[in-house]
Amino acid sequence: MRLALLMMAALMAACGSSEEVADVAPSERAKAPLRVYTVSYPLAYFAERIGGAAVDVTFPAPAEIDPASWRPGAETIEAYQKADLILLNGANYAKWVERVSLPASTLVDTSESFQDDYIIIEDAVVHSHGPEGEHSHGQTAVTTWLDPRQAVTQARAIQGALLAARPEQGTDFEEGLAALEKDLEALDARMEEALGSDAPFVASHPVYQYLARRYGLDLHAVDFDGDAWHDLEHLLEDHPAKVMLWKLDPPADTASRLRDMGLEIVIFDPCANRPAAGDYLSVMEENMARLQSALSR
Amino acid sequence: MKQTLYLAWRYLAFHRLKTFILLTSITLILYLPVGLRVLVNQSSQQLTRRADATPLVVGSKGSPLELVLNTLYFRSDFPEPMRYSEAQKVRDSGLARIVPMYVRYHSRGHPIVGTSVDYFDRRELAVQTGRLFTFVGECVLGARVAEALGVHVGDAVISSPENLFDLAGEYPLKMTIVGILAQADSPDDDAIFVDIKTTWIIEGIGHGHQDVADGEAAGAVLSRDGNRVVANASIVKYNEITEDNLDEFHFHGDLSDYPITAVVAFPPDQKSSALLQGRYENADERAQIARPSEVMAELLDTILTIESFVLAGAVIVGIATLASASLVFMLSLRLRRREMETLFKIGGSRANVGALMASEMVFVLVTGIVLAAGLTFLTSQFGAALVRALIRM
Repeated sequence: MRLALLMMAALMAACGSSEEVADVAPSERAKAPLRVYTVSYPLAYFAERIGGAAVDVTFPAPAEIDPASWRPGAETIEAYQKADLILLNGANYAKWVERVSLPASTLVDTSESFQDDYIIIEDAVVHSHGPEGEHSHGQTAVTTWLDPRQAVTQARAIQGALLAARPEQGTDFEEGLAALEKDLEALDARMEEALGSDAPFVASHPVYQYLARRYGLDLHAVDFDGDAWHDLEHLLEDHPAKVMLWKLDPPADTASRLRDMGLEIVIFDPCANRPAAGDYLSVMEENMARLQSALSR
Repeated sequence: MKQTLYLAWRYLAFHRLKTFILLTSITLILYLPVGLRVLVNQSSQQLTRRADATPLVVGSKGSPLELVLNTLYFRSDFPEPMRYSEAQKVRDSGLARIVPMYVRYHSRGHPIVGTSVDYFDRRELAVQTGRLFTFVGECVLGARVAEALGVHVGDAVISSPENLFDLAGEYPLKMTIVGILAQADSPDDDAIFVDIKTTWIIEGIGHGHQDVADGEAAGAVLSRDGNRVVANASIVKYNEITEDNLDEFHFHGDLSDYPITAVVAFPPDQKSSALLQGRYENADERAQIARPSEVMAELLDTILTIESFVLAGAVIVGIATLASASLVFMLSLRLRRREMETLFKIGGSRANVGALMASEMVFVLVTGIVLAAGLTFLTSQFGAALVRALIRM
């Protein structure tokens, strides 16, 4: 066996050619800003806040699309491949990531440290076929950043990745993280104060699980991407909510019918995509203000 | 002198067969050790170069040589796989950038190399036509594979099942060619590159099939109990990943548990390299770390030992051949006694006759040396290509 390997090696060596691959020394790294690509807007916002001028952050999803269900084209994936860092949300967010080819060294799962705290969606379809046995698809809640404390953890993961890539700019990154943490903690404190309520809520989409867990909201969701009226009526029998959270303004006829059912519509934008105006913090502040206003009525 | 050389030349030309045999013997006996030395030197340089470009390789415990040959040359037996979490561990250590490798499957005799797009940067491989893979199910071909299979960008290659009789085993996967690499004169020319997740799909641990909630799959559903759906094996599994069914492909369980054969680690400096190697010193560690340059140096030492045996053999054969050649000359002198007497009788001096005989010997020796030198030069220029051609036969 060993002799065979030896002979094979000698023959294969003769097939070789000149190729010199040298690792890029830190001192030779480009002085240009780090190219950072993200799979959601909150991650882009955190990276911009932490990295400042040292990073060039790109979140390439079109404005009108929900990034969770978006699938980038080949050219966009090639751009991701060329990035210095690719920030992933984890929790199975942006499922396209598992079907594309991204460099293993540049991937950063920002929620990996709290993956044991992911919320499992109990009603996911489980199926089995053949020898692999039973399995299910997409069973975790994905909008981790709606819990500001989790958002802080994700921001720290981003800072760690930036620091590893550019240790010489560590002080700047630490300052950026400290400022962001301060803002997120302040947001968390205000939301805790504003959302402290035992009132039941309903949501039009199952995206507020982490928000509900963090602030103890009695919130149940239906899925208005399908025919949810029956589910909603059934839900309201045992869960007499007066407020319904929507990601965006519902269609006029839907809004009218909901109002007829005694539900007040409150837009709570998860801010997965880049807002037309403002930023992650301002959108969350607006969400909080709208919800607080509805609760006070 | 001119006449002496002319007579020597005429004699050798007249006894063509004898001259040919003598020339061949002398040429080969001079060429064999020198040519072998040149070939081994070339091989050593090639081995060292590719190994030096691959700082560290992490794999399951076992033969480091097998691990390195599989990872660098896509040859040798399929080494014991390890979990992908090992790659994540190296990456998370912050001590090296990583390129995971899964070299197990083949397509029409060419290795399918599951890796990450970083591989092409690390090996400085350029795309001749098309682009690198972006989605699972896409592949990039080495230059010689494309040439051998006569395929182009937009065509497809199909993975070969490992065992034709394993009906429940992995399905062949049809992979779309999205790029062809420029010739690199390396083992990369003979490989088919895919994303590592594509190799997991070939293995069957990632797959795409009809949505069990879809009406079209109703015939395959055996039972539904709330959110629990049991389907039989007739549910349509896709053996090609297309734009339309891409979203149906998925992976079960934790990717950390998925198999890989190696992780190529690129530490930024010597300190990181030493620290990373230190982490695998523990005897309880189920993985090993190999430094390809050291593994190949050890291999070369062994090859050089073998070479020295071959050289010793060649020298002994050479001495025997020269002795035989001398004997042939001496016998030839005896047989030519009457010819020499005739030369004396027609006025040739002893010196002239001696010079004639010596000219013949010198002519054969010099021609043999020139031919051996020519063959050695050809070996140095085309040896690698020749071996490559022999391997492909």
